[in-house]
Amino acid sequence: MNEFLAEAWDARDAIVGGLLQTLSISATSIVLGTLVGILVGIVLVYGAWPARLVCRTYVDIMRGTPVLVLVLAAFYMPTVLAIHLTPFEAGVLALALFCGSHIGELIRGALQAIPRGQTEAAKAIGLTFSGVLLDVLLPQAVRSLLPPWVNTCVEMVKASTLLSVIGTGELLLRTQEIIGRNFLTLQFYLLAGGLYLVINFAIEQAGKALERRVAYR
Amino acid sequence: MGYTLNFAVVWANLPQLLWGLVLGLELAAASLLIGTVIGLVGGFLSVGRSSLGRFIAATYVAVVRNTPLLVIVLMLYFALPDLGVRLDKVPSFITALSLYSGAYLTEVFRAGLMTVPKGLVEAGKSIGLTRLQISLFVVSPVMLRNVLPALGSTFVSLFKDTSIAATIAVPELTFQARKINVESFRVIETWTVASAFYITACFTIVALLRGVERRFPKF
Amino acid sequence: MLTVETTSLTPPLLQIRGLRKSFGAHQILKGVDLDVRKGEVVSIIGSSGSGKTTLLRCVNLLEEFEGGQVLLDEEAIGYREAGGRRVRLKDRDLARQRAKTGMVFQSFNLFPHLTAAGNVMLGLRKVKGMAKAEARAVAENWLRRVGLGERVDHAPSRLSGGQQQRVAIARALAMDPKLVLLDEITSALDPELVNEVLATVKELANDGATMLLVTHEMRFAREVSDTVVFMEKGQVSEKGPPSQIYGAPQHPRLVEFLRGTRDH
Repeated sequence: MNEFLAEAWDARDAIVGGLLQTLSISATSIVLGTLVGILVGIVLVYGAWPARLVCRTYVDIMRGTPVLVLVLAAFYMPTVLAIHLTPFEAGVLALALFCGSHIGELIRGALQAIPRGQTEAAKAIGLTFSGVLLDVLLPQAVRSLLPPWVNTCVEMVKASTLLSVIGTGELLLRTQEIIGRNFLTLQFYLLAGGLYLVINFAIEQAGKALERRVAYR
Repeated sequence: MGYTLNFAVVWANLPQLLWGLVLGLELAAASLLIGTVIGLVGGFLSVGRSSLGRFIAATYVAVVRNTPLLVIVLMLYFALPDLGVRLDKVPSFITALSLYSGAYLTEVFRAGLMTVPKGLVEAGKSIGLTRLQISLFVVSPVMLRNVLPALGSTFVSLFKDTSIAATIAVPELTFQARKINVESFRVIETWTVASAFYITACFTIVALLRGVERRFPKF
Repeated sequence: MLTVETTSLTPPLLQIRGLRKSFGAHQILKGVDLDVRKGEVVSIIGSSGSGKTTLLRCVNLLEEFEGGQVLLDEEAIGYREAGGRRVRLKDRDLARQRAKTGMVFQSFNLFPHLTAAGNVMLGLRKVKGMAKAEARAVAENWLRRVGLGERVDHAPSRLSGGQQQRVAIARALAMDPKLVLLDEITSALDPELVNEVLATVKELANDGATMLLVTHEMRFAREVSDTVVFMEKGQVSEKGPPSQIYGAPQHPRLVEFLRGTRDH
């Protein structure tokens, strides 16, 4: 135990650095993915059929493919297309696209679950399409979207570990490097696992607090 | 751009890719089976009378669902030897995926149990069945049929998660694709085909499941 | 229905003494006494909230009760004395006791994954330990008695409400219970299906079944019962033969209640 604590202290920079990378990967993917997802979700419900087809295809491809395959493809493909992406950028691109498809489906479902009467009432008082969407439909959708969206955030944190496979210096890769030096395999994997637990618990608690706030409005 | 598509290498390696796909399906099936056993135990514990049982189930679910699958896989393969348990790649991965899916399935079965109408339990009591008999002969059959859709979608998820086995060199589809990619540099072709395999397999499974659900609709 | 022999000095089949039950702060049953003799049909009537359904469900301990006793054939239901304290029976013993009563529910509660025969056979096989062929024969016999001989292998989803309720009656009676409990068994049925169920119950009453029923159907209660019990606010307000209850009600609340119901 003492040896573990000593090694952990020695490696604190790497651990913290990896942790920050993990959070950075997750946050960036979630933000980008949410933006993409909102767009895709709206198009899937209201778009013209060519746009809907494109989005449908995008969602189906993303959801039928394992995330690891997306990450690997995003890592290897750009080079042959003469585009240069760092492992971080490639990984975040893959995760953001994956996240976007999930959130797109969520938003589609949430929008379609709102009774038609809401749209009709909004139109009846003269709101334009964007008005209907922004002032009437999305606020209602947000309430039902919050729990699955928080769930998606947790999934993204877990998916960030896949970027270790393409060499991004996030927590899992750093953990493996540390283990490579001192062979305290079980202890450091438990440490890493524990840190992921803490992050995800924190996200869930924050999500619950957010749900409470949104519910009272 | 200077890159011309050439699928020849990929087609030459088709058998490996297909075997990789089959292995992935087998891994998923094995994990689903074991995970279902775990999930049934966990589900019944979650709605049972023992508060210790409920606590154990809840903790198991909370811990496993918040830990990345890759961490669980690596831990079981690399860290378990520290405790004297040395598993081969495939058993190690199946164990990891089963533990992971068991947590999700616990939630599926818990929800399924809670939607069984209380009246059925009372009817069972009224003819003199014991609690165990009611769980076995009344609640379980009804619950299992109602959770069929959720079980199906869990299988599809598990199948996609089998790609993570590639990280410990289990020769399933993703591992084979990466091998071809690294050896031939036919990047776009390899990953397009691999992705197409996964997507086709998933869609086929979903279509088959829908057929099964039509045959056995919810009560 | 009662014959002269049974109204003798043998103790009643069911004896309820001073039954008390509360749901949290609200006391539903405030000390109920009731007897049911073998072969007797007793109906409980009263407005909602009077506690009549709760009383019925205490008899086979689908509801716990805090005070009083329920004795079936002189055996205390649900609890026993242990060192001066009241102890709840273990699941096995409770199950054994419950097998001595049968219950028919308002919402039928048929097992959806079993056919009509399967529903009736489950108790016979798992509780009474009958072999499959024997259980099947008994089940078919009972289903024929309730008029469903043609639908023995139908799934509940293919049966009408009235048919499902008759299967439920067969399921309860096939266990050969000492007492049958019927909890508003026609309340969830479409009006045109009510009569087939009531006719079945009447036949069983004529064959000598001991029944305790909670019902809204006043005309039916009048025709089939030996005794009618009127409950009000968790207590028995008045009880007597149908002729008295419906013909010459004493208690003012009963008079008011009867005036409020459509037919009797």
